[in-house]
Amino acid sequence: MRRVLWIPWRWWRRAAQLAGLIAIVWLFRRTEFSNADILPGGENLFFRLDPLVGAAAMLAGRQFIAAFWPALVVVGLTLVLGRFFCGWVCPLGTLLDVAHRLARPLARQTNRWVALRANRKSGTSLSEAKGVVSQPTTPFVPQGVPPIQGMPPLRYVLLIAVLVAAVFGFPLVGLVDPFALLIRGMTFWGDPMFYRGSVASFRWVGEGWATETVQPFAKKHLLPFRAMVFQLAGVSAALLAAVFALELVARRFWCRYLCPAGAMFGLLARPALMKRVPAGVCKSCGQCATTCRMGALSADAGLSSEACTLCMDCVDACPKRIARFRFTLPTKRPVKHAARPVDLGRRGVLTGIAAGAAIPGVALAARLGQPLPVPPYLLRPPGAGEDRDFLNLCIRCGECMKVCPTNVVQPLVFEAGLEGLFSPHLIPRLIFQQSYCEYACTLCGQVCPTGAIPLLTEEAKHEQPTGKAYFDHNRCLPWAEKTPCIRCEEMCPTAEKAIKILNTFTITDAEGYEVEIMQPVVDRELCVGCGMCESNCTIEGVSAIRVQRPDAPDPGTEFLLKQGGPK
Amino acid sequence: MDRRQFIEHVAAWSAGACLATPFFDVRSILAAEVKPKGDSLLAVAKGKDYAALVGRVMQPLGGMGQFVKQDARVVVKPNMGWERTPEQAANTHPDVVKGIVQQCLDAGAKRVLVFDRTCNDVRRSYAKSGIQAAVESIGDSRAQCVFQDESRFVPVDIANAKSIKKFEFYQDALESDCDCYINVPIAKHHRLTKLTLGLKNIMGILGGNRGEIHKDIGRRLADLNLVVYPKLTIIDATRILLRNGPTGGNLEDVKVLDTLLASTDTVAADAYATTLFGMKPEEISSTVAAAEIGLGVMDLTKIKTVEA
Repeated sequence: MRRVLWIPWRWWRRAAQLAGLIAIVWLFRRTEFSNADILPGGENLFFRLDPLVGAAAMLAGRQFIAAFWPALVVVGLTLVLGRFFCGWVCPLGTLLDVAHRLARPLARQTNRWVALRANRKSGTSLSEAKGVVSQPTTPFVPQGVPPIQGMPPLRYVLLIAVLVAAVFGFPLVGLVDPFALLIRGMTFWGDPMFYRGSVASFRWVGEGWATETVQPFAKKHLLPFRAMVFQLAGVSAALLAAVFALELVARRFWCRYLCPAGAMFGLLARPALMKRVPAGVCKSCGQCATTCRMGALSADAGLSSEACTLCMDCVDACPKRIARFRFTLPTKRPVKHAARPVDLGRRGVLTGIAAGAAIPGVALAARLGQPLPVPPYLLRPPGAGEDRDFLNLCIRCGECMKVCPTNVVQPLVFEAGLEGLFSPHLIPRLIFQQSYCEYACTLCGQVCPTGAIPLLTEEAKHEQPTGKAYFDHNRCLPWAEKTPCIRCEEMCPTAEKAIKILNTFTITDAEGYEVEIMQPVVDRELCVGCGMCESNCTIEGVSAIRVQRPDAPDPGTEFLLKQGGPK
Repeated sequence: MDRRQFIEHVAAWSAGACLATPFFDVRSILAAEVKPKGDSLLAVAKGKDYAALVGRVMQPLGGMGQFVKQDARVVVKPNMGWERTPEQAANTHPDVVKGIVQQCLDAGAKRVLVFDRTCNDVRRSYAKSGIQAAVESIGDSRAQCVFQDESRFVPVDIANAKSIKKFEFYQDALESDCDCYINVPIAKHHRLTKLTLGLKNIMGILGGNRGEIHKDIGRRLADLNLVVYPKLTIIDATRILLRNGPTGGNLEDVKVLDTLLASTDTVAADAYATTLFGMKPEEISSTVAAAEIGLGVMDLTKIKTVEA
């Protein structure tokens, strides 16, 4: 049979990968205020497709989260098709494939080095080892590398560790989940660089055609509204860069050896109905095994369905055109391939459990077994509730930080212990006059995939204050310096101002002018803790009005030390 | 890569990096001398159709054509600093802005820019105020509601200033870049200044730490108005905010007056607007300070008021 128009399988796969990549970039771009109080929805879709994130959040939060229904669909498809998600959908995998293409000259060097090391043990000669990787056997298919000898399947250890740690209430998932790594890297570092780079380029080009036509288009459709600023941007960039750098060691190194989500898909793929035929590698050729980017094919054990991402390279590379994938009922399957053992020994399982249990232990030991007192100035996004519960549900995806219009939501370092790393908190005044929690805005709750930041209406948000403001009367201008100001009162967004004037009096200033002084105080019943006062306070340095957690004790700064305490 | 190549690369890259270093447009502009106002003509108009009201209030002043010449670069500066709806009376009414922009376009303006330095997030304020949508609804590419570009604030030395000698102004509103600056504040309550009117609306073209102004707000506002003195001030008193200003939020604090005031003398317009709140012009420190340095007339008996 002769096909008139035969599109090779890998092109279908590439099309799907491209679609996945476009989807995540498009959703990422939509994760921003655009003239409506309610976002169109679906911004956090990729997290909700991820069963690892869902499982970890539900285990740690001890509740069922219905928002993860898309992950169930993916699980179902994986049970039928196999680990298709990693090969056909995952944008990180796609980016790694692209990166591999771009860095192939470099990668070839390291691949050869890895192959040499791997083969030295098995006694292959140098020229043979070179031949394995540097001679392209098929001109169009990228070259794979065989599995690194003796490399333990860390992805399973990570998977077990993530789930065990989640049971112990330690959110490890955010540190190793592929989408969390990707979105945080894009939010904290990629997007600001993209914005600043474009501004610099247009400035470099100067006024003209480019700034009149290209720049407005880019501003409207491609660029973020402004370059945001984030703590831990460097750390996030380094983590993501490391994932890409590993591509120099082996193709899809991250997916093969480290990705815990990939490990989960691999386990689910074991009973999948879609199987490669033939399951093994022909002794006379073996082209498929050298082509496979995942190192999933080996001459003695056949195809590993835990590793195979159905990328279809082996189908296209088969010189005899006999390799293909098709649905096979489990009963009709040859026994020896179905029984291939999981890439994980008893030792790996124990290591995973031990790691998952030990990391929360280390975090606990770091604070002498006591619950960490939450620092008074650690403000959580609106509606976050008890810090313990919040940290359990939060997966550190960075969506709330991406969407925040004022840039007030920032990733935490270690202020809430090891387990607080990358969790969101508010820093009013981080950017003077710009960062505070916007009174009418509920965007962070709309993009949170797990409901750690609940979906609130504007009214409900005001009933759950993020904090309470306290003056430092030793710094506040009208109190300490008898200088007019009340900028805080002007900015206070509550319908009835939460900042009241306690004393009003007139003084004569140095130039002989009569000046009215108004000394402000906070009505903490009305205060919603937005921090707009703190962000706009006119004095240099630390604000003279600061927002504390709603449950924090009075800092005792609301009286003048000079005048001997409160009146 | 050999040594020669390495040196070439280093030279090329560092040359590129040096050239790409953004240069900052630091310049000082001396403010013009205060031009004494001839007569302080103030037009007052009342009506429910706010867009039509703009046309009526402009008639005693000779129509918009007196101010906006053919191919003029116009800036319309409403107050849209807050994420509040039009009926909450924290921002200028969108219909008023739309009416003014429309008149400028009809008078043959080359470009009409509408912007403000907002206190709430700029996107949220532009959207909630309804002004962005109102300007876009005109459907004329000459009129644009634009976000200010942080890099376009320039420091300006203020000649003859009493209280503040230097501040950052938005380039597009300065005389070098703007032929006709139209000031469209809303009249509303403000605790520190008692009322915020025409003179205070200049805050929207200022950069830097605007809180600095609060330390001597009356005289500082007057000084700042020396730099950009509006060709025309139209005060929106269609609704005024009586309490909890300048933000508002409670409809009980709003009083509907359906009134527009227009004058070439911002001080006179401010002085008259003060009476709408049952107050005297002398109570507003910025009005007093501006009249003192000759920016306009605050004596109500010397203002020629025309009902339109």
